[in-house]
Amino acid sequence: MRLPVLLVALVAVATCTETFVGHQVLRVTPKSDEELQKVQELQALEHLQLDFWLAPRGLGFPIDIRVPFPSLQAVKAHLEASGVSYSIMIEDVQALVDEEQMEMLRSSRQLPLDTNTFNYQAYHTLDEIYNFMDMLVAENPNLVSKLEIGRSTEDRPLYVLKFSTGGTNRPAIWIDTGIHSREWVTQASGVWFAKKIVQDHANNEGVASILETMDIFLEIVTNPDGFAFTHSKNRLWRKTRSKHSGSICVGVDPNRNWDAGFGDAGASNNPCTETYHGPYPNSEPEVKSIVDFVKNHGNIKAFISIHSYSQLLLYPYGYTDTPVPNQQELHEVSAKAVAALSSLYGTKYKYGSIITTIYRASGATIDWTYNQGIKYSFTFELRDTGRYGFLLPAKQIIPTAEETWLALKVIMEHARDNMY
Amino acid sequence: ELPPSHFPARRAAAVAVGYLRYLRGGPGRRLELRALRRARRQDIDDVGHKYYLELELEDVLDKGRTVNCTAEVLYHLGSKSTAPDVQVTVQGELRSTEEADKEFYNRIRSLEKELVAENIPDSHGNVPPALEPIHLLAWAASGYVIWQNSTENTQFHLAQVKHVKQVKRSDEDLQFDYVLLLHEMVSQEVIPWELTVLWHPQSGARVSWDRRQPGHA
Repeated sequence: MRLPVLLVALVAVATCTETFVGHQVLRVTPKSDEELQKVQELQALEHLQLDFWLAPRGLGFPIDIRVPFPSLQAVKAHLEASGVSYSIMIEDVQALVDEEQMEMLRSSRQLPLDTNTFNYQAYHTLDEIYNFMDMLVAENPNLVSKLEIGRSTEDRPLYVLKFSTGGTNRPAIWIDTGIHSREWVTQASGVWFAKKIVQDHANNEGVASILETMDIFLEIVTNPDGFAFTHSKNRLWRKTRSKHSGSICVGVDPNRNWDAGFGDAGASNNPCTETYHGPYPNSEPEVKSIVDFVKNHGNIKAFISIHSYSQLLLYPYGYTDTPVPNQQELHEVSAKAVAALSSLYGTKYKYGSIITTIYRASGATIDWTYNQGIKYSFTFELRDTGRYGFLLPAKQIIPTAEETWLALKVIMEHARDNMY
Repeated sequence: ELPPSHFPARRAAAVAVGYLRYLRGGPGRRLELRALRRARRQDIDDVGHKYYLELELEDVLDKGRTVNCTAEVLYHLGSKSTAPDVQVTVQGELRSTEEADKEFYNRIRSLEKELVAENIPDSHGNVPPALEPIHLLAWAASGYVIWQNSTENTQFHLAQVKHVKQVKRSDEDLQFDYVLLLHEMVSQEVIPWELTVLWHPQSGARVSWDRRQPGHA
């Protein structure tokens, strides 16, 4: 006889998931002794399982009652029959609980103490990402440094992380994320990449061997003005936030502002459109700063610019049908990179030149970098293929970053092994 | 014959999938394009371009079971105001959504206050489970808009349900007034689109009214 009772008790304890689906919180403010008494009558009815958030105190003081779903009708009928007016303060307690839990998860990333407690599986604000960078540098001063390569239109600093084990002006790899601000999985992946590079180096695996002879430059928030705007006003903002005279519309598409086929078909000259190329090449400080950096450095061997979404790996050109001289090589590297990416979670990518694979685009980043002599210029379009698009659930951040990293390593290793 | 990695075939496939979502989608069914197996294009003089496609679809809520499809998409010559003609043949049966449909129908009908929601998914990609059927219904309805407004130079996806409001009706249908944000890939524009969707478990989804939201660039 005792064993079943014990089991039941254990089960009850184990499945401690209390749910408040359909529960409502009613508020009664008694205006007379009769009304007060009617509510106190309810208190006595234990089977209703009422939970008084604000117990009866006296006339004029509000009484808040959480009413479980099965008791709702009875309670409301009781109140209405007695002419006691009530209001519904909370329509569905569970919905509120769920929302709060989500908020807590989100705010549990309040100023992490270090890059080990940073939440990589969540989207972050600009301040949080800039704070992350400083922590990473502080934790790894011999490997990581932060460079300011310019300021945005709204005067935000443009930061690049440099990963280097020494040497002077070593051949380098450039990776940028977040040039289009609404592509949130890219900045989030950039943060993950930064940590990954540090970890690989510490464990002497992965890219540690690449770092023996090459430097890696990583610009995580390439368009900070746009990124701030996606947090404050418009989640789907793509462009910069520049205002050029003669138009009320804001912003230039930073991936049409480069000096490669600038202004040709594949970009728009209308400032109010998403692919507006800007008044002239490099008009955007976000673009100019990279151009200056690349030219001054002079030794970048691979350049990878990361976007979302569509699951594509692209190489130049976008502004012309003419294939690049080493098209065959880039196609083979792409095949290998995509295979590596797929090997992790089965995510399928297509690859090819920009113009054949996605659309004609002029003034694109990697067309310019390629024409500067950076033979290994690639653009990624990360997850997904349209199901969530720009609004990719945060739980996909790490898997996306992990698989993309495998593809990046293929490209980096190829550059290292085919030095030019 | 077209390489599936090139965009013309993919754009036609997106139209076919949109059309199919409208016809067969609903609050209980999620159809995704798993793979584009083959594509062929035929240029028909004085008529237009016809695409022949072999697609592999995924019925996500049926444990990701895949279903093969063939589709024909005919884009009419020089016409921006005529929708492409689409024909889709699904090989085999899609799992019945009768139970989920009934449950959704009863739940919505029993709401005291008309359902109102916005930003589905939210900025972080979250969709509250209770709103997933509303989200799926939006996908089905967006299939209509996408089919009706596609050309060889566009590729639409539903970016977000900006706003949805249920409108109680005296007949048996459920009615939802949506404002959807459609992302057009080639221009990269995000276009707000208003539409009214009627739905009933037995008759499926019907877009009874739609328009591109005025006042947008």
